[in-house]
Amino acid sequence: MEKIKYRPPDRDGQRKECITGVWKFPIDEKKKGESLSEIRQEITKKRIRYYPSFAEIVWNQMRFQPWSHWALEGGLLLFLMFLAFYLPENAETEREILTVCSVFFVFSGNIALSSIARLFSRNMAELEQTLYLNLKQMVCIRMLEAGIFALFTMGILLSIAGKRSIAGTVMCVLYILVPFLWSDVFYLHMLEFLRNAASGFRSFAMGLICGLLACFPLLEDKVYNPEYRYIWFFLAAAGIILLAGRIRRIFETIEGGEILCLN
Amino acid sequence: MPELKLDRVTKQFKNKIAVEHVSIHLKDGVYGFLGANGAGKTTLLRMLCGVLKPTAGEIFCNGTEIGRLGGDYRYMLGYLPQDFGYYPDFTAVRYLTYLAACKAVPKEAAGEKVQEMLRLVGLEGEQKAKIRTFSGGMLRRLGIAQALLNDPEIVVLDEPTSGLDPKERIRFRNIISAMSKGRIVILSTHIVSDVEFIADEILLMKKGRIVGQGSVADVTENIRGKVWEYEAEAEEALRLNDIYPVSNLKNEGDRVRLRIVSEERPHEGALPAEPGLEDVYLYYFEEVSEHVDHMDRGI
Repeated sequence: MEKIKYRPPDRDGQRKECITGVWKFPIDEKKKGESLSEIRQEITKKRIRYYPSFAEIVWNQMRFQPWSHWALEGGLLLFLMFLAFYLPENAETEREILTVCSVFFVFSGNIALSSIARLFSRNMAELEQTLYLNLKQMVCIRMLEAGIFALFTMGILLSIAGKRSIAGTVMCVLYILVPFLWSDVFYLHMLEFLRNAASGFRSFAMGLICGLLACFPLLEDKVYNPEYRYIWFFLAAAGIILLAGRIRRIFETIEGGEILCLN
Repeated sequence: MPELKLDRVTKQFKNKIAVEHVSIHLKDGVYGFLGANGAGKTTLLRMLCGVLKPTAGEIFCNGTEIGRLGGDYRYMLGYLPQDFGYYPDFTAVRYLTYLAACKAVPKEAAGEKVQEMLRLVGLEGEQKAKIRTFSGGMLRRLGIAQALLNDPEIVVLDEPTSGLDPKERIRFRNIISAMSKGRIVILSTHIVSDVEFIADEILLMKKGRIVGQGSVADVTENIRGKVWEYEAEAEEALRLNDIYPVSNLKNEGDRVRLRIVSEERPHEGALPAEPGLEDVYLYYFEEVSEHVDHMDRGI
């Protein structure tokens, strides 16, 4: 009787057969096509989210501002550059220079804030609050833009006022800043409580009233005298606190939503 | 696929409760909020969109409170407010491009998407016109276009057909029907015909509460046996019209055919009639829908 010799299974051989294609699963091309088609459909259905960068968001906010806004800001800057050459040579007193600078700083603040007011106009606020980039974020971006514009303007104004300043840079900043702060407080107050606040007439009227109020030092000789410094410091501190309060209130209004639905 | 859940949502304005303890569960499909003016529909929709915060209760999207989802929730939202906002100095194309940017539509796709939406609402011919020159109907169509611009998964439309002519209304209904698959579409209206043929579910709102809910067949079935038809002399027809809610009056020769909604038989000769959604509206809100008022009352 022949002895059967145990032979271990040729695993390597089987693997080789698989690899070389001698043995393989039969592929149903029809089913394969159907499966691939289903996968493609799932990929099409899958929403790939797009998150715009901060720079792109800021750029989008800027490029959709109306041309009139850019024209006003550009025109004001050009005029200030002209004043920088003309005013220090031709003004009679430092008081006149400071008052003119205050008035123009008030105007610059109002022009910059009008881009925020626009967001609240014509029932847009309610719609904008439901967008991916919502109203609160839009207001933040436009306030940032307004702040940068104010700093730039302040730089030019200081170069004008500083040429003949006796009071010193800090006091110059203070004298120019106080009317600006208070006009911004009034503007933001108007924005919250008046419907369609961005209507051109209201914005213009508010700018004009604030500008006229900023002319007050022309009526009083001693208003920039050192003995009134404490009053200026007090007005600046009160203006900063009120402005911060107004900005906070605007965000609370947006969060609450009730006034948005009326605007 | 999104899922919205409202859990005992209440909104109170000073002394007035606009929405009271509304609890509903919305999956994909078209939902028609039907109610008279002042029923709380707009307030509820504003809360759904995150414009207003509920005084009590919460709104969940896929299990997370919508306030916590923030931008992720707004990303999937398309909203047409009752008072549609726009910048009058913008052209239609500029307006939609602006909103596309704010809705985070990729800029490579935005131009094509804007054109697609303008075609969809039939405004491609007016795309370069300033919005201030648009009629009420055109503004509404622009509003619908902006709501659908980001291919939203949740579409909230508040009185979408106000100002649209009958042809535009039909076009709008077809748009909504075509796009409803895999989305939640919420329509608020006081015009029955807006939702009668396209809504998967009708939600009847009265004084801030949901007073009825179900498919058109369900809500009409609820008032079976409460709708009657009766042919009367003109004088008697006027008398019945004063006593009962009448959903339709039609002159037939020298007699008048009345359709009356009433718990009891209004007259010995009155016969039970097949209820419709107009009758449901009249039954719950005791007034005639705007559509009937304008088009069907023929005395």
